[in-house]
Amino acid sequence: MQGEIFHGSAYRGSKQFSQHDVQTANATGFTAAADDYMERGVDLNEQLVRNKPATFFLRVRGDAMTGAGIHDGDVVIVDRSIKNPAGRVVIATLNGEMLIRRFEKNFNKIRLLPETSRLSPIDVDPSGADFSVWGVVTYVIHSL
Amino acid sequence: MMTASSILHTANPVSSPEKEGRQLFAIVDCNSFYCSCERVFRPDLWNKPVVVLSNNDGCIVSRSDEAKRLGIGMAGPYFQAKHVIERNGVAVFSSNYHLYGDMSWRVMETLRSLAPVVEVYSVDEAFLSLDGIGAADLQSYARHIRDTVEQWTGVSVSVGVAPTRTLAKIANHMAKKNKQATGCVHIMQTGEEQRTALQQTRVTDIWGVGRAYADKLLNWGISSAWDLRNMPPEWAYRNLGGVVGARLIRELRGEPSLAMKDELTEKRMIATTRMFGQPVTALNDLKEAVATYISRAAEKLRRQQGAAKVITVFVVPKEAAQPRAYQPGHSLSAHVTLPTATSLTHELIKPALTMTEGLFEEGRAYKKAGVMLSGLAPDGSIQGSLFSPGTKNAHRYLMDAVDNVNFSMRDDVLKFGSSGIQKNWKMRQELRSGRYTTRWEELREVR
Repeated sequence: MQGEIFHGSAYRGSKQFSQHDVQTANATGFTAAADDYMERGVDLNEQLVRNKPATFFLRVRGDAMTGAGIHDGDVVIVDRSIKNPAGRVVIATLNGEMLIRRFEKNFNKIRLLPETSRLSPIDVDPSGADFSVWGVVTYVIHSL
Repeated sequence: MMTASSILHTANPVSSPEKEGRQLFAIVDCNSFYCSCERVFRPDLWNKPVVVLSNNDGCIVSRSDEAKRLGIGMAGPYFQAKHVIERNGVAVFSSNYHLYGDMSWRVMETLRSLAPVVEVYSVDEAFLSLDGIGAADLQSYARHIRDTVEQWTGVSVSVGVAPTRTLAKIANHMAKKNKQATGCVHIMQTGEEQRTALQQTRVTDIWGVGRAYADKLLNWGISSAWDLRNMPPEWAYRNLGGVVGARLIRELRGEPSLAMKDELTEKRMIATTRMFGQPVTALNDLKEAVATYISRAAEKLRRQQGAAKVITVFVVPKEAAQPRAYQPGHSLSAHVTLPTATSLTHELIKPALTMTEGLFEEGRAYKKAGVMLSGLAPDGSIQGSLFSPGTKNAHRYLMDAVDNVNFSMRDDVLKFGSSGIQKNWKMRQELRSGRYTTRWEELREVR
């Protein structure tokens, strides 16, 4: 995720946790000598949510993006603050609908590409007011 | 909303001569906030008329611009506007406070990443301190705030910038009045800009001027904000409620007289009140409702690590006739002062229920009830007092456990028996949208 361009100043969000979130060694059964090595456990939010106020979770229905590893019933993590959607999987709004597709831009030509052979790409007229990129998909949560 | 006197009383004057004219405030105000929140997840409603109803679907509390243009009034009863709504295919939502609360947090958090000092003023407004930003950059900075909030959260905002908070509110008003021309941003820095705006602003539209206050001003022949600005502060001191009036005039003249407060994270009073879904006639139902409100208020209290000393319970009987306009109704209340402040639900519920019994009249129907916790102090039981009995601390742990379970499971899995299981009185919310940002089961779907 390095080098990504965000709108405006990057989110400097606070990691709000207190010393109480760090288990003491006594609570773990080690002796007190191990206290020096205790730290907070890894937190999925830290890894998956880059900009919390701009991050939304959406549920995927259908198989439009199975080729990208996104399946029916999966949850996608969407960051609205990412500026450049080119080549990325995005949530797009088109004629009042919310679609998950890969965003392709060649010069002034925009296409929304599904990743399944069942659906065909959508050519978008960029001047049309009923199209927008709602957010960029950054991760998918998929149950195995 | 705060009243004029409470806004002006709580702040201290900060104007120091050498600082004057250099301080700058921005107010960021969300446009039709509740409608905006609904639309983020409903692109099919972009540029379409939308309204949001109050608790219990009684009144219209938020309207999109398209709905305003149809002549749908603010705070009007829903049934009165129903024919206009149906004829024009206006989208109607019950209020979804889970969603609005989360979206409000997102807007405020975005603002905190853009400005060093953010004072959250209400669910959809915040003051920012813009000290140290050059005059040349103000317009682009204000636009940057507007664009970033909209990009990150999907909520559109208006930004008003001026040397005082009262003037910033007026600037915001100007921005909203003509969104096309202003792009929802209005800067009011020079004396000339301020004069133009104040001449166009009626006294009734000045922030903090209530109805009674405005009537008084109109009686003096003061109809525009510019008229008021030109009155001497000594006159205001004599005739407009002393220091409050004098401050208002200084604010209009561009001299900051209201201090930036710290964020409103710690409330001095916690209230929980709801309209009932249907009128309540049984004492037991009324008590269940009050117990639930107490539980909810106590949870909020513990979240800010406070304890309350005063409990107020109020009930509003249903009027015989259907009121023609929205009226708050006549309420009956009782309050009790506890020997020591507490944050423990069961210590708060017991006196509240006793008061409810006292207020209840057999044969009367009630449409609303509420509780208020005040006399707030920091909660001593968190650290545990050396001199208090040990059981007190155990109770505190129990509360923490209850809060933790309810917080992680959402729908009040654990509750006190007196809150009831049935909840016949729960509010009507027939048209509520999904809680898209707080519930896994209700996430917005994409295809």
